[in-house]
Amino acid sequence: MAACCRNLHKCAHYLRSVRLQQIQNERLLSTSSCRLAPSDKPGKFIPPSKPVIIDKAQSATSQRKFLSPEFIPPRQRTDPLKFSMERKDMIRRRKVLDIPEFYAGSILAVTMTDPNANGKVNRFVGICIQRGGKGLGATFVLRNIIDNQGVEICYELYNPRIQQVELLKLEKRLDDNLLYLRDALPEYSTVEPNMKPVPAPSTGEVPLNKMKVRMRPKPWSKRWERPKYNVQGIAFEQILSAEQLEHAQKWAQPWLQYDMLKEYDTSRIQEEILTEVTREMGQ
Amino acid sequence: MAGWTCRFLLQRGARLLSPRTESSLFIACRRTVKTTTWFEEHLTEDNQEYMRKIVGEDYRKLTAERLNPLKDEPWPRHEWTEGRGRPKFTSLLHAVVQDCHVLKYLTKDEYDGRTAALLVGGKNVSPFHRSESEMEMFRNAGVPPKQKVSTFKVSDNAIIKPGTPLYAAHFRPGQYVDVTAKTIGKGFQGVMKRWGFKGQPATHGQTKTHRRPGASGPGGDPARVWKGKKMPGKMGNIIRTAHGLKIWRVNTKYNVLYVNGSVPGHRNCLVKIRDTTLPLRSASILNPPFPTYFTEEEEDLAEDLYDESLFVHTEPSLALT
Repeated sequence: MAACCRNLHKCAHYLRSVRLQQIQNERLLSTSSCRLAPSDKPGKFIPPSKPVIIDKAQSATSQRKFLSPEFIPPRQRTDPLKFSMERKDMIRRRKVLDIPEFYAGSILAVTMTDPNANGKVNRFVGICIQRGGKGLGATFVLRNIIDNQGVEICYELYNPRIQQVELLKLEKRLDDNLLYLRDALPEYSTVEPNMKPVPAPSTGEVPLNKMKVRMRPKPWSKRWERPKYNVQGIAFEQILSAEQLEHAQKWAQPWLQYDMLKEYDTSRIQEEILTEVTREMGQ
Repeated sequence: MAGWTCRFLLQRGARLLSPRTESSLFIACRRTVKTTTWFEEHLTEDNQEYMRKIVGEDYRKLTAERLNPLKDEPWPRHEWTEGRGRPKFTSLLHAVVQDCHVLKYLTKDEYDGRTAALLVGGKNVSPFHRSESEMEMFRNAGVPPKQKVSTFKVSDNAIIKPGTPLYAAHFRPGQYVDVTAKTIGKGFQGVMKRWGFKGQPATHGQTKTHRRPGASGPGGDPARVWKGKKMPGKMGNIIRTAHGLKIWRVNTKYNVLYVNGSVPGHRNCLVKIRDTTLPLRSASILNPPFPTYFTEEEEDLAEDLYDESLFVHTEPSLALT
């Protein structure tokens, strides 16, 4: 009974102090900014703006669930034991080397051991144009333009020589692979080597960059206007006429979307592997 | 149930009735003797399911227990000496060892008069579609019936009691092996794919001749084609051996061998692995488990055994000073 009284007192005291603070804050606010609109009646109550709660315990990035695409096994007749053993090796490597979440279009910096370089390590910064391979042989290609020369380096994610993979800018583009940057104007592939990391936005989503890239005049290395490449991120109207675009549609294969043998629904596999990977990484 | 089954040629069907052709009728038809029935012929559905379940559980228990039923009198083990053959065994894929058991021991006289041999079987299969004579050998050894049985030549001091299970830890990393399997069958193939002939040019007036063999021999003196001339034919599906493959890693928990390079055979095919016969690599087999790896005696092997020069993923990234 006595304890209850004491607690009640404490509560009351706390509430009083909070209310006091609120009143003080209001007073401050009322003196600093004019919160009453001139046309309103002077006595009308305008409630204070709601505070934005940022839960610092759980950052937005950790709440977003991301499974790296090389974990998803291809559709093959191989024994699933092989894939599970490979996944174990991948997780062991990821515990030692932190591989961030990235997509095609993100800017990365990779430091790798090189016996022929000064200081035995070399660092390369570039925009990721494609992610390929499954399992331990997964690769990603970084592109940059150095001294007016386009350079692309294909790195293996699980190569033991890789010391560090830094994510400088997390970004997604309209396409999964940006090989058309080879035929685009050089400004779209240039990344400054000493670029500072750009912090990810506070909302949990990956920013989608919807930019349409301007291309050099034709001929290109591949006929990007053709529907088989399904490129969304090129501004075709600026360089190709409507007739050329229509002519490119002759190579369309509209029946492919109805081909049931090509269907590979990975949602269930993805969930299972994601739970397995998060469990193993947490240990 | 003994029974005679006649398989008639399709052309004969119309002419069955005339007496003249009756004798020739019997010559034309092929007879197959079927002396066994399938196991489910006289069983109810419930009984069939029960049989399948029971047998499956039984075999799983047999292999999982890692015991051999003839364990009471183990055969004497001999010391390893250089130059003696070790027993080797069949395994699946080029990696996974699945349910390998020693089935039978053939003495020198029984086998070929020179070396003793061990019959080893791999990969359990159901007993229901095997005949009694085949099952006899498996029953004597006390193991489930196997898909593939192969012979390994073995020296006298390396014989193992029938019924002993064989594991991937029989091999150690750093060792060299020969892997034998049936190659992928490619069917009837032309001379360019089968033997690597150059063919003929695509243009410059070639009439219907782009992938043909061309000339088939010298000419007037032999006036014939030599025997064994490379010609189109069935390619693949023959037994081939890849020699001198290094073992980089052995996983004792799942019985997986990581073997260097490529191996004949398609995915999930049965493969025979032996210690190398190459003279320059035979020295790599230092202190192997002889005659084989017994779980009871060597309990403390790590789950993964790595070769010395192999990078283990738990180590930090490679750095040069």
